[in-house]
Amino acid sequence: MPEERRGVGPRGVVLIAIALAGVWAAVALELAPQGLIPSSGGLRVARDLLSRAVSPALSYEAEVPPGTTPLLLKAGEAAVATVTFAAAASSLALAVGLVLGFLGSSAWWAGDAAGGEGRWGRVVQRGAAPALYGLTRLLIAFMRSIHELVWAVLFLAAFGLSNLSAVIAIAIPYAGTFAKVFSELIDEAPRDAAHALRAAGAPPSMIFLAGLLPRALPDMSAYAFYRFECALRSSAVLGFFGFPTLGYYLAASFENLHYGEVWTYLYALLLLVIAVDRWSGALRRRFVA
Amino acid sequence: MNDADGAIRRLYRQRPRSRFLRLSAALLLALVAYAWLGGDFGAGGMLSPRRLANVERFLGEIRPFPLQGRDFEPAIFVRWLGEVMAEKGWHAARVTLELAVAAIVLAAVGGLLLSLPAARSWATPEPYLPSPRPPGRWRRASWRAVVASARSLQILLRAIPEYVWAFLFLALIGPTAWPIVLALALHNAGILGKLGAEVVENLEPQPLRALRALGADRRQIAAAGIFPQVLPRFLLFFFYRWETCVREATVLGMLGIPSLGFWILDARARQLYDEMLVLVLLGALLVIAGDVVSAVARGVVRRAA
Repeated sequence: MPEERRGVGPRGVVLIAIALAGVWAAVALELAPQGLIPSSGGLRVARDLLSRAVSPALSYEAEVPPGTTPLLLKAGEAAVATVTFAAAASSLALAVGLVLGFLGSSAWWAGDAAGGEGRWGRVVQRGAAPALYGLTRLLIAFMRSIHELVWAVLFLAAFGLSNLSAVIAIAIPYAGTFAKVFSELIDEAPRDAAHALRAAGAPPSMIFLAGLLPRALPDMSAYAFYRFECALRSSAVLGFFGFPTLGYYLAASFENLHYGEVWTYLYALLLLVIAVDRWSGALRRRFVA
Repeated sequence: MNDADGAIRRLYRQRPRSRFLRLSAALLLALVAYAWLGGDFGAGGMLSPRRLANVERFLGEIRPFPLQGRDFEPAIFVRWLGEVMAEKGWHAARVTLELAVAAIVLAAVGGLLLSLPAARSWATPEPYLPSPRPPGRWRRASWRAVVASARSLQILLRAIPEYVWAFLFLALIGPTAWPIVLALALHNAGILGKLGAEVVENLEPQPLRALRALGADRRQIAAAGIFPQVLPRFLLFFFYRWETCVREATVLGMLGIPSLGFWILDARARQLYDEMLVLVLLGALLVIAGDVVSAVARGVVRRAA
């Protein structure tokens, strides 16, 4: 009879630690189940809100001055603005993230890419390259660690409301994330082509551009597209801070108790995200086959 | 040499081409071009003289208040920093962490429960082995409905941002920690559920088939066959998502729960930009610390696998 395994393995320890941490957090936050029961006011809101889920508003629920854009057109405009902000932000983030991702990948600096022969080559290898690599990693971590909404609050405080500041607020943490993931993808890409190119005597820049990069490109594209979907959500939420995206109208309708309109904007956001999710799924199947 | 050139040209002509990929790329480029040309994102609005004066004032005010208008003295700075931290910093950081932990544990439970009915290999009338009597059309249809509804629920949970969920829940259950924990938990349960379902579908079927042949029912296969195999991958996803929970918990406080985001907005409203900057950097430190903890934990899980 095989010896029975006794005690708790490392994975068990992790599971127990997670459970204990959860209990600690729930106790500290006073998360009692009865806290989930809405107040009578909350119940009324819940009933009114949920009852409109199947009948989103098709026109405004209150009198509007003549000449106001019809509700559905307004929702369409807000959706277009959401896409516009997301596209501008993710394209900017992609450009910055690609540069930082190259600089932050160890393959880029691994000996041959940065170096060269001779005295200057050695100086670059020993001193400049590790310093630049470390600085890039630090910069990436810093950009990522501040949330886009916090960047937005900072820019709002410094510049006031301007569309460009929303785009930059999203682009900074996204560029950091792109850089982190891209550098990892490049470092993990198969090295077969790079080795073959090196054996054939190709210069370091060609080894990187023609040997490593193409192997990482499908995954990089798929990831970039996934981040575009995330940018849509971020851009919608920035509306809560006064930018003309879906969140702005959603919050305004909710505060005016126009729950039908809330659902109109929610469904617009849902359609947008699901459409991009489907599109990116179809792309991934063709790309990463 | 000519032969080689010809071969290269031939290979180039035979490269895989997909109209769908090209169309998608063109559409994306058009979208980006439209955004930058038509989206009113010029720098002019940001750099008008009035705005620049505002920026200058802002940069002056992020200097710690007791140090404004005098030389920098480390002792004063340290005392000021200690006061800000004692007054709100430590407490806000703790609440942020607690929110993230409570939310991810709930999300993990929800995600695990959601991943099974969304996995086509498990949620079928004949899991892993054909049954002796072929299931009727009605049973097939009802299992397909289970998968479809589990997946739609996941998409719904994922597609609505945490911030919007929290905003709605706040009106329903009032200003406790619940709206934020629930919002984070629901959104992440959708994501973990999707990832979990993919892992379940990609499992090696042999051990599960053997369990089935021994007469295990669906629940027993899940407990004895699927769960132990899925656990390592699921834990990796769990820690990845916990990192983002820490990030989001910082921000969700802006809706009125005293995590870091709440005090950041509060400082902004009272134009205490020096305090605001400290809290922002504290949040950044917390996120970086969370990344490190998560990386260590993922390392433990990987080694155990």
